Order: sequence, then C-alpha cells, then structure tokens
Amino acid sequence: MKSEYDLSGFICPLSLVKAVAVIDNLGDGEMVKLILGDSDSLKSVVGELKVRGLKPAFAKDGENRFVLTITK
Amino acid sequence: MANQDNFLEGEELDHKLRVYSDITQLIASPENPTPLVRVNRINPNRDFQIYLKLERYNPFGSIKDRIVYRMLEALEIGDRTVIEPSSGNTGIALACVANALGIPIEIVVPEKIPEEKKVMLRFLGAKVMEADDALCPVFPSEGARGLVNAVIKSPATKGSYISPNQYENKLNVEAHYRTTGPEIWQQTQGKVNYFFAGFGTCGTISGVGRYLKEKNPGVKIIGVEPASQNHKLPGMKRITGLAEEYIPTILDSSVIDDIVTVTDEDAYGTAMELARKDGIPVGPTTGAMLHVALRYAESNKGLAVVISPDDAFKYASFYEDFLKTKAGEIKDKEL
Repeated sequence: MKSEYDLSGFICPLSLVKAVAVIDNLGDGEMVKLILGDSDSLKSVVGELKVRGLKPAFAKDGENRFVLTITK
Repeated sequence: MANQDNFLEGEELDHKLRVYSDITQLIASPENPTPLVRVNRINPNRDFQIYLKLERYNPFGSIKDRIVYRMLEALEIGDRTVIEPSSGNTGIALACVANALGIPIEIVVPEKIPEEKKVMLRFLGAKVMEADDALCPVFPSEGARGLVNAVIKSPATKGSYISPNQYENKLNVEAHYRTTGPEIWQQTQGKVNYFFAGFGTCGTISGVGRYLKEKNPGVKIIGVEPASQNHKLPGMKRITGLAEEYIPTILDSSVIDDIVTVTDEDAYGTAMELARKDGIPVGPTTGAMLHVALRYAESNKGLAVVISPDDAFKYASFYEDFLKTKAGEIKDKEL
C-alpha cells in the first residue's frame, strides 16, 4: 500500500469514494496521507473519518491542497 | 452496427413475423407496441376501466429500453466510457444496448436497489459502482447522480467519460412523446381519460402527458410519488418539497393535473393483490401507480391507463422483505 494518495484531481463525492477505498485497506497502526483538492471533499472525508473514530492531522499545502494524515 | 448478409437483407421490418436482425429492433414503438391489459378482479368499478401498459415486454424488460437506444445513438462517444446513474432499469437497458453496439459502460447504482438488479448488471458485464444515497452534499438523497456528476467533472477523469444523463436529456421525453404516447392513443382508440405515471427522471409523465394533452386537453395526467423521501420504490422520486435545483430539468409540470402520494405498504400490497387477483406480476412502482388509480376508481368514470414500468421478478428480495413485515402479513392473510 502506498503512503500517499493524491486525490486532488477528484471532486466530491468521487474524492470521498476514492478516500474510503484507501481507508478500508488501511491496516491497524498503518499511516497514510490523503491530498484533497477542494473544501467539499475535505468536509466529506473528515466527516467519514469522524464516523469511523479516526482523527486525522491536517495541513494546508497551497491554496487548494489539503493534506490529511491518517493513522488507523 | 455492421449488417451481416442474411435472408432479411432488403426486407422491411415486419412485426407480425417477429424476425429481427438485432435485439434493439424489438424496442417498443407505435408499430410494435407493448401490451395494454385491463385489470379486472382487483377493480370492482366497471365504470372506471383500468388498463396497465406492460413495459416489461420491451426486450430488456422495462420502460427504459425506449429511451436508452435513442440517447446512446445520439451521443458522440468517441473513445470515452459511458457512465450513468440508475436505479437498475436504465442501467440494464444501457448495458444491453451498449453490448450490442460494442460500447464500454459503467453504471452507478444507489446502494438500496435490489440485489437482483446489481447481479444482472454484473452479469451483463457493466462495471458497477454503488453509492450511498446520502453520499453527496450537492445531490442530497441522490448519491448515484452526484457521483456520476463528479466523474464527469473531476479534472482527473474529465474527457474520459460521457453520460447520457437521463435527468436532463430531452431525448428521454422525446422517446415517450414519439412512442409511448402515440401507442396509448392508438390502443385506446383515443378514448383514454386518465393517465397515471410516477416521477423518476420524469421523462414518461412529461412525454406521454404532452402527447395526450395535445390530442385531447381533457385527458387528466396524474403523477404518483412516494409518501416520504425515505422509501423503497426504486426509480421513483418524491417531487413535493424537493428544492428546485434537484428536480429533473426535463419535467414538464404544465401537463400534470394532480399529484398523489402513496406509501410503500400500499404500493407493495397493491402489487401483491394484482398478482393474486389478476395474475399480473409487476414491480412495486406499478403497485404504487395502480393503488392511486384504484382510489380514483372509487369516485370517477372513464378509461384509465397506468404505466407498469417493469415486472416483479427483479424485486423478489424486496417482496420477501415485505412479506415479513406486519403490513405484508396482514395483506397475505387478507388475500
């Protein structure tokens, strides 16, 4: 599994579907970075992580690049 | 499609012989209409005759066969993949026509559709994506539509996909204006007084409604919708209370005389009653529309046509669930 997924080319909810596929395959203790390209995608993915009890670290990398670091 | 040499070459299509050079020629038209069948034992009112327009007799099993061929034929696909949101029937028809034309296809379905439809789509070779109804904030309660929108518009996938977009495609309405409407008019010899259809993409009610109103402005067009947004009637949409931007742009509200709501219990119960009293196995949305027509029959006279979009078989698991409910058990015993 890769440690970073650039999903900035996908708008919501396609970005969410792609993010869910990554999270579903994440093993316990594994870490992954997701890069999102718009605020709707960010909101949706953060909401999904919250439902799953995961707290991501957030960083902004430029105007429209949001980086979520998730550890399962 | 490549024409192969065969004994049909040069012959005009003859629906009496029922010999065809490809499966799409069976799609209903005024020359080859789907049957109109009167319901009898379920309707005690002889002064309000109800006929079902049995769309299951289309080659791929539903009313959607009519719109799919027209929409695909008009698309400039190139090397793109066709993608469409569907509660199943459009997807199945699209997959069949696309297979006949050699076009790759992806279908996005709501998670809640019957397993039977998902299996059929996979059996037909379509790539299937499932979408939670609440997936997308842009299309609340319509995740599949939102997901297709995102696939078409995302910078990473833009240009690789094309969608017939049955919610906004005028050919959807046109198909019903050119075929379903004229068929009903011919089959009833212009005597139809009431037409009942559901709201989904709104192509049927808009196209047939427009045609029948042009022939006779006195024909009443009745729209049927689920009693709540959270329903189990795949393909149907509750229009009332829906924000303007989520209503299909092809809906022609001007042709609609009345909108009536129906519960899941009444829709499923009526479908079961029809099967047991008249021997016609239909899908639950037909049950919904027929239930409303039967309510009309209590206080009106005339000739009514009810659209029956598909059959019961692809909803076996949903009917099984219904039979386990309190309402299902009561109806089962009552019949």
